Amino acid sequence: MPECDNPLWPCAMTGAVACLAGFDGITVVIHGSSGCYYYPATLLHAPLEGTFIMEQEVIFGSEDRLREVIGRLAGNGKRAAVVTTCVPAILGEDIRSVLASHDTILVDSPGFSGDLETGYRAALDALSPAVDPAVPGVNIDGLCLLDPFYRGNLQEVLRLLRLASVPVGTIFCSDAAENVNHASPYTIGTNGDFSSGVGEFLGGTLGLDTVTQTISEVCRHIPGSDPDPVIREAEREKERVIRACDKFLRRFDPPRVAIFAGLAYARFAEEALRTWLDADILCIGARNDPGSSPEYITRATGMNEVKALITEHRPDLILGSSFEQAAGESCGFVGIVPPLRGRVSLAPRTIAGTTGTLSFIENVLNECMDHRKRTARGT
Amino acid sequence: MTTSKPLPLNTCRHGGCTLTGALSATTHVRDAATIIHGPKGCAHHNFSLFHATGADNDGIVIPDLVSTGLDGTDIVFGGEPVLARTIRSVAGRDVKAIFVISTCVIETIGDDVAAVCGQEYGLPVIPVPTAGFLGGTFQEGLSNALIAIAGSCGISPAAVPAEICANIIGEKNLEYEAEENYAEVERLLSLLGITVNVRFIRNCAMADLSRIGAAQVNILREPELEPAGKFLKHRFGIPFQPSFPTGFSGTIRFLESVGRICGVDSARATAMEESRQADTLADFEDLAGGRIALDPKASPGSLQLAGELAERLDLSIGTNGRKVPLPFSPPIGSTGVRRLLHRWRCAIHA
Repeated sequence: MPECDNPLWPCAMTGAVACLAGFDGITVVIHGSSGCYYYPATLLHAPLEGTFIMEQEVIFGSEDRLREVIGRLAGNGKRAAVVTTCVPAILGEDIRSVLASHDTILVDSPGFSGDLETGYRAALDALSPAVDPAVPGVNIDGLCLLDPFYRGNLQEVLRLLRLASVPVGTIFCSDAAENVNHASPYTIGTNGDFSSGVGEFLGGTLGLDTVTQTISEVCRHIPGSDPDPVIREAEREKERVIRACDKFLRRFDPPRVAIFAGLAYARFAEEALRTWLDADILCIGARNDPGSSPEYITRATGMNEVKALITEHRPDLILGSSFEQAAGESCGFVGIVPPLRGRVSLAPRTIAGTTGTLSFIENVLNECMDHRKRTARGT
Repeated sequence: MTTSKPLPLNTCRHGGCTLTGALSATTHVRDAATIIHGPKGCAHHNFSLFHATGADNDGIVIPDLVSTGLDGTDIVFGGEPVLARTIRSVAGRDVKAIFVISTCVIETIGDDVAAVCGQEYGLPVIPVPTAGFLGGTFQEGLSNALIAIAGSCGISPAAVPAEICANIIGEKNLEYEAEENYAEVERLLSLLGITVNVRFIRNCAMADLSRIGAAQVNILREPELEPAGKFLKHRFGIPFQPSFPTGFSGTIRFLESVGRICGVDSARATAMEESRQADTLADFEDLAGGRIALDPKASPGSLQLAGELAERLDLSIGTNGRKVPLPFSPPIGSTGVRRLLHRWRCAIHA
């Protein structure tokens, strides 16, 4: 792996913890040092446990310490999920046999094994999710505790499903642990970067047209459901978006945009801005693997790559995290990927569903106008 | 953190990572780069933390932090060639020095970091003894970084002092109130007619560090930095004050002690500060007669401060009182106490 300046994306261990900590009934145990523990603990705001191993356990083996912690957790009514960090993984201890006498899950997801998505995937696989044909409704996936839109997306998609009279199956990953093995046969998504792969995927919820298509598809599979309330809402809100963007374009040029995010949110933002604002999408720096994407989409996982893209393209609007905000101080900025530091954020925010599109466009328009005012004032 | 909290014998389990401690110093040398030899995730964790701290303090400075990005293959075959390649690459940038910090993974696989750093790169390459959690705790990482930097950067002990001045050693750069705490110490020193020479290390350049030998006293942020204080005393002959001042009486003692070290009469300064403290107590006399509850798990320093304030404000302490906030690190100086009392008033009236 090449050297990397100021890496922007968390490691696989954090991804595994972000997945598991979303489930009630699971106690996540980070098998590693306190340094490895503190990062996900402060980032995810979820109760986590740790073995907090020290040098003596590296020399003499960490099995006893792991046994001690797991033993102490036994009887709390929850299943322990042990996530390994780098050093225990390198030591090659037989952790599985240590855990054999306990009802535990082992996720071998050390930091060096990959990025956030790798760990999230490994943890979900370790839970062995399964479809139960008797479970009605649809599952919701793509929820990750690290995502600043996690709570808002969940609330929004639950609202849309309620509007369409569609029961909810399992929510990946924000549900009771026992529901993992009793998922509905169908799934819709909030963020394709964290798809569960469980059941038949009926579509996403990023963008108004996608919402309409997905809910229509869902209702074709779910007896007694009705997509019309959602379709009517999406059409009504689309008119509002068109009016607001049209008004903006009467006075202002379309924004020249650099987007930095996971691929799913980035492509949503790209489509929305091109569609409603005729925006010039200069580049997309994807946090994760962009696969076979067009040339203007590259992977940007370090600060120098981000700076280079901003310097090369000179956008007037940046969508990204507060890392990118810092790198492009003179540009307008809308946050769509963590971290979003330097601001207080208490209320749930959504990017999925109809509300998500409204919120996204609203933020972009306000920021473009505010940025012009700031530029005119020279501040 | 709940049930897996360590037993009292194991309290050092929660000491954090040497990496973070060392980086909290090296990343504040603005014209140097820091290489983290290990997997990319370790660098991200810390970069994200420093970014968050910077954002909280209204000033986002992006540290020059480079990860060697070790993967599974490097771990099997050794990471020394990757480190050497990364140092050569970073040496080509416009930086005055390179700090090299190693992770627990490197300690486990046994790379000889010092040997790689000892090669010629055309600029100082300073290995900081860290090794992630295998090298100790956050505090040891910070202390080791201060010592490594002080010992390796061509700092001249021959600088001639022009006036009575103090160095500030080992500020907690990740602390939310770091700048306010510094301002309070600077204010207190000014009462003694002492200026600040070098903030070792906060928001500075390599050239700034060469002035460190010009001070009459080194003021350590906290007693845990004593190894760094002793090193600086040995190298430059500068005595140290072991901690920033905490509590009202601690603030007065701080003025007396620093005055004594620097040969300055502190009587006027302490009188002025006692008057200021009396004004503060008068502003909060509405709290008198109240009953407060303290978190027994608070740090000894904070509990001691709370006891002092309760006595001086005529507050009683008991489990059925209003729970008042107590920070892990006691607030600094009289100004810090005043801010804490505002928080207490809010809690009491909530």
